[in-house]
Amino acid sequence: MTAVDLFVSPLGRVEGDLDVRVTIEDGVVTSAWTEAAMFRGFEIILQGKDPQAGLIVTPRICGICGGSHLYKAAYALDTAWKTQVPANATLIRNIAQACETLQSIPRYFYALFAIDLTNKNYARSSLYDEAVRRFAPYVGTSYGPGVVLSGKPVEVYAIFGGQWPHSSFMVPGGVMCAPTLSDVTRAIAILEHWKVNWLEKYWLGCSVDRWLANETWDDILAWVDENESQYNSDCGFFIRYAQDIGLDAYGAGTGDFIATGTYFDPTLYANPTIDGRNAALKGRSGIYANGQFSQFDQARVREDVTHSFYEGTQARHPFEGETKPLDPKIARSQGKYSFAKSPRYDVPGVGYIPLEAGPLARRVAAGAPDAAAHQDYDPLFLDVLAQKGPSVFTRQLARMHEAPKYFRWVREWLDQIDLHESFYTKPVEHAEGRGFGATEAARGSLADWIVIEDGKIANYQVVTPTAWNIGPRDGAENLGPIEAALVGSPIVDQEDPVELGHVARSFDSCLVCTVHAYDGKGRELSKFVINGSV
Amino acid sequence: MSSVLWFQGGACSGNTMSFLNADEPNVVDLITDFGLDLLWHPSLGLELGMNARRLFDDCASGEKPLDIFVFEGTVIEGPDGTGRYDMFADRAMKDWVVDLAAAASVVVAIGDCAAWGGIPAMAPNPTDSTGLQFHKRERGGFLGSDFRSKSGLPVINIPGCPAHPDWITQIIVALATGRAGDIALDELHRPQTFFKTFTQTGCTRVQFFEYKQSTTSFGEGTRTGCLFYEFGCRGPMTHSPCNRILWNRQSSKTRAGQPCFGCTEPEYPFFDLMPGTVFKTQKVSGVIPREVPEGSDHLTYMAHAAAARVAAPQWSKEDMFVV
Repeated sequence: MTAVDLFVSPLGRVEGDLDVRVTIEDGVVTSAWTEAAMFRGFEIILQGKDPQAGLIVTPRICGICGGSHLYKAAYALDTAWKTQVPANATLIRNIAQACETLQSIPRYFYALFAIDLTNKNYARSSLYDEAVRRFAPYVGTSYGPGVVLSGKPVEVYAIFGGQWPHSSFMVPGGVMCAPTLSDVTRAIAILEHWKVNWLEKYWLGCSVDRWLANETWDDILAWVDENESQYNSDCGFFIRYAQDIGLDAYGAGTGDFIATGTYFDPTLYANPTIDGRNAALKGRSGIYANGQFSQFDQARVREDVTHSFYEGTQARHPFEGETKPLDPKIARSQGKYSFAKSPRYDVPGVGYIPLEAGPLARRVAAGAPDAAAHQDYDPLFLDVLAQKGPSVFTRQLARMHEAPKYFRWVREWLDQIDLHESFYTKPVEHAEGRGFGATEAARGSLADWIVIEDGKIANYQVVTPTAWNIGPRDGAENLGPIEAALVGSPIVDQEDPVELGHVARSFDSCLVCTVHAYDGKGRELSKFVINGSV
Repeated sequence: MSSVLWFQGGACSGNTMSFLNADEPNVVDLITDFGLDLLWHPSLGLELGMNARRLFDDCASGEKPLDIFVFEGTVIEGPDGTGRYDMFADRAMKDWVVDLAAAASVVVAIGDCAAWGGIPAMAPNPTDSTGLQFHKRERGGFLGSDFRSKSGLPVINIPGCPAHPDWITQIIVALATGRAGDIALDELHRPQTFFKTFTQTGCTRVQFFEYKQSTTSFGEGTRTGCLFYEFGCRGPMTHSPCNRILWNRQSSKTRAGQPCFGCTEPEYPFFDLMPGTVFKTQKVSGVIPREVPEGSDHLTYMAHAAAARVAAPQWSKEDMFVV
């Protein structure tokens, strides 16, 4: 048996600095450490500031999902200040954030993920030449249109929010804009252009409606073979190629999921409260662990810093959260190895465990029974998981499934805007309050907890999808979801460990999206691995 | 053919995402039509692990010629000057910056963070973040005020939170088409072709500013009026082409009813976002704007405003941006 310690720094294209440390035995990963190497201290910066400072600051945590940061920051204030949000404002917020996700899906797929599909390790596949022809960076026949047209959905964001990235147009009580007729008609035209010229032409090879008629894994297999157009679409090709090169065989992760849900019914969340949140969601929240569904409850979230470069060992609820950074060089001697905290969730009857966030988690939550009439009920991925299990491929397919789904939702919301009604209700700016706002960024559950005292921010904590996924081990030595997903990955070429990239990237973890992100000092890290090897 | 290495320090990737929204040229055009050789980028780079590390070492040592070093994000110097709050490829990122800035022909700071420190450098600046050649408005920053890249230029600042894609792509095309000599910098090292004008230049609300008519509220209140009087808009005091070169080819903050935050200026975020300063015009005696448009003073401004209000026609008090 040969054991090799491999330290990959940097693992690019995960949006930020991610270092991965793995131990490989006989060509298979047997343990893994993911390290967030950068710290910016946004939660510290927010203390003592204007209650609305989060609307400007938190989008800058992550330029990739800044619209999602804005969305949940606005709802954190809505719940703290007990605002009234007009239906139009809820619709515009939904449209804008969903457009950010529609941008992210192709941009992520072609620019960040699919490049690895052209790696020479896959040259043995009979489909390899076709993969290179489509996905090669800059020159691939699908790369160019996919990346360039990904800018279209955020043109719609800019119509309502002024610009993307980094708008702050969602404010407690509504939105800053008041669209005109041509704002709405142009938004519709831009989205239709994007649908025709990328989503249906390149990705699906069929109509949005045809794809969304798939309800099982067998339906998807039959869809691939239904006609030439679908078989040869990027989606059809990806399904065939991913199975040929084995992306469906590794990267499973914990199999336990969290979705905080997103997008509100325009009439059901006019007076946002923490308790009323789940029932008002269109994109459902939910926990799925040990094969059981349960309701998402923000009170059950804790952040563990046992192995994170912060002071303290006690897991804290974000309302009582602390962010006290340590010098990584010193903290390593205490077994700490990442600037990411480890979010954990108290699953009823199970206890605090790591949960995977992201599109697959959302698709699982969408399959839970008892959906209300206004909510997304979509059992497709429960069946895909039952047939195929979680993997790099399943995670990826779940993400891509959301492009036609969210496109349809955005079109419906645009039709529901009443241009003659209100977009904003001026709130009372209470000097005291606690708020919770959450959403689903493209890459998973994202939430803010704000405590306002004496007219300023007393505490502000952000838990990002990247923290859920990339966080290190916790006090009970449970691996974080990406660490768990890396274990079992086959590594063909240790000089070019593309498999690690696939697994990490399948979570689309924008590492800058961890407010606390890491370090990779080779020597100290090796020492830790020797001491802490699981 | 220009070789480009793009690194991120204390960054959110917002400038990268903005860059990917570019059109005419888009990112693919830049590479296939204008000969941009993007050696590595955190989001777009092909190499990973040791292959990437070798490439960085070769650029830092000068073995591989580097034409343009683009830096996004702050230079993080903490804790205690070690830079260990931002490690990259086994070194403090700040040490990479020293080597690569010395090796490159041209150094470009993209976004506020790289230019002046931006949001991470806001009080209490927990990571000791700074810009490449400025700390806020103060000259120096990380590389020092005397720094010149191999071409003899100081760091070129393309500020904004984020920078608009055109502000960098058009500069790259200028370099690629022999117009380097036309790129003139202002005193803050910004290309003056973009940053001489004001954010207000081209704003659709400028007629309301002319007659001192205020927007009444967010939402439907923005169907009329100017955001300068009540909502903290910094359009008359901020240099940018946001209303000449529209965002995402569609709009701008101020057109969409959102006050300008002044994000192309070194002081951004203004007033450190202290209580009472967000989306609210700071006033003297409850009515007079604490800051008046650039080049004016309070007395002149008040006299002008009084006359303008008298002259205000009826339409300036009604909704203009209607359904």
